Amino acid sequence: MLRRVAAAASIALAALCGGQAHADEILVGAHMPLTGSLARSGQAFDEGMRVAIQMFNARPETKHKIRLQVIDDESTPAKAVSAVEKLVSDGAVAVIGGYGSNIIGPASDASNRLNTTYVTAGAVSDELTARGLKTFFRINNNAGYQRGMGTLLETLKPASVSILASTKEAPALLAKGLQKDLAGKGIKVTLHEFDPAITDFKPIINKVKLQDKSEILVMSAYENDYVGIIRAAKVLKPPVKLIVGAWSLATPKMYTEFPDLMNNIVGTSFLPFPVEMKDEEGKRFAEAYKKTYNKEVEYLSTLSFVETTILAEAIARAAEAGTLKSRGLPDAMRKTERETLLGPVQFDATGDNPRFTVAMGQHQGGRIVLVSPESAATGKIVYPGLPW
Amino acid sequence: MIDLVLQALFSGILVGSVYALVALGLALSFGAMRIINLAHGELVLLAAYCAYLVESRTGLDPYAAIPLALAVVAVVAAALFLMIDRIREHRELNSLILTFGIGIILTNAILLIFASDVRTTSSPRLQDATSIGPVYAMNGELVAFALSLVLMVALWWWLKKSWYGRAVRAVSSNRAAATLMGISPVRTELAAFLVAGALASFAGVALYAMSVVQPALGHALTVKAFIVTVLAGVGSIPGVFLAAILLGVTEALTVTLASSALQELVGMVLFLLVLFLLPNGLFGARARRG
Repeated sequence: MLRRVAAAASIALAALCGGQAHADEILVGAHMPLTGSLARSGQAFDEGMRVAIQMFNARPETKHKIRLQVIDDESTPAKAVSAVEKLVSDGAVAVIGGYGSNIIGPASDASNRLNTTYVTAGAVSDELTARGLKTFFRINNNAGYQRGMGTLLETLKPASVSILASTKEAPALLAKGLQKDLAGKGIKVTLHEFDPAITDFKPIINKVKLQDKSEILVMSAYENDYVGIIRAAKVLKPPVKLIVGAWSLATPKMYTEFPDLMNNIVGTSFLPFPVEMKDEEGKRFAEAYKKTYNKEVEYLSTLSFVETTILAEAIARAAEAGTLKSRGLPDAMRKTERETLLGPVQFDATGDNPRFTVAMGQHQGGRIVLVSPESAATGKIVYPGLPW
Repeated sequence: MIDLVLQALFSGILVGSVYALVALGLALSFGAMRIINLAHGELVLLAAYCAYLVESRTGLDPYAAIPLALAVVAVVAAALFLMIDRIREHRELNSLILTFGIGIILTNAILLIFASDVRTTSSPRLQDATSIGPVYAMNGELVAFALSLVLMVALWWWLKKSWYGRAVRAVSSNRAAATLMGISPVRTELAAFLVAGALASFAGVALYAMSVVQPALGHALTVKAFIVTVLAGVGSIPGVFLAAILLGVTEALTVTLASSALQELVGMVLFLLVLFLLPNGLFGARARRG
């Protein structure tokens, strides 16, 4: 009997104390889609975030260690909102957002209602910053991706471009922005939107082949769509000279998994492969990441590493100034101005990072060569260049 | 324009045959036992990951994974049936909830074991293109089409001609009367569930060999299979094949003549229209009248 009471008391004590940060630690919460349809992205984000906290806590100048509490939002908005509420009630001073504009939207609303700073690198919808939330910060945005892809396409000067875009919010937004941008530069653009449930891209690729006859095929979508599109293109062989995609395409993983489909494909990228970090922080990140996960740095992990590092530094500044508990964290975030692995990060009044821009990387025989913009290029683009 | 429509029709038939392949197992458990197995898509997915495992570890053709897929899915299907068999009240509704929950468990188990990356075959033989006149297909799609036809005929034969098939129909028609005739309903339903699992195994391997799989796909497969089953009408195996082809062709033509953004919508409109005009499905009513 006594044993049972003691066990119950221990469990109750653990439950009461489990969520609380230790006295010398600052709790940061995160909701990530570790399961569900966005699990692939969520797990990569989770890895970058953990390495960032590990590196921040290991800095000699760090006075306040950060403890991370992650809740799986199961790729659903409702679970993300509950996760934010739980994290804040557990004492989190800030919340790192997961992935997907439809999830980040309500989750950051909840965080704002609870006066808690919310940082994300996983949502590019313009509507998020248009809300004018004082506690919302984002390091990447649609404009940056559009700029990166637009710069490359402008350099190649194609007469016509076909854009294949998922109807999901972020890819659709990017595609429409690109369409407007390229059309304004006198390039003939045809947009083909597709349902995310599509399994066979041949009817669309056949339209590109027989009707559009475009020089460049642009994909604004996700990994499974890229594979389906390129595979359909390999079957039908439309007369395009290059295939360009958005996020999560120019990654070593994609080449390892689909070597027959990826050669010469171009996608947004921050780093070449083999990874060549120019600065000390990047080198340490790549080393710590490799040591922890036994693999090379991933695209999404880099995004979450940067957002987490910036948040941790702002927390340290606010804690040092004694304003962390009096809602000084948003002000500390707004004072951020630093070079990162993603380029310069600075927040405007809406919490957006107007200086965000991506480079474009091309798969070249197992390597990823940065080919655009010229300032970031590590090699020349293979153009025309196709996987077949 | 003719080339576009021809390719759309051809692609639609091939995609439809895969829908049929996925739906056959669900149609069997729904038609024979009135159990809507909401974990059916996850069983298909499990088989697809068996194919990935065999191909990535041994370098063999994905179709070499069929024995492994059959064994793994049979164990899971049997366990699933034994759990369903323990339901004593409101079997149709409770089995729905139970299988939905098991589907979630299976999805997350797959996620845990295989991670969330997208997987597909690397076999050049299956990925290579074949042209038939002006239309093109991947070899993997043609194999899936042939497999779908063969399995449809095999299932139809099993239900019509074999002792167990007739027993399944008898239990489905009148459980009490079938018991009085010396048929064990539990054993018969287990056999039907195992056959449904075998069909899911073939479907999963074929899916991996021609498309892209990832852990979150199971639910979408179940939904598609359910639409096809209801569209066909309960109890009609050739109907499942034809309804699946109709759905595939409708979707492909929508993509070609309008936009892919509308394909799911048009598919659902077709589904609702058929249910409105023929509440027993396209082939269910005729079968009943006959």
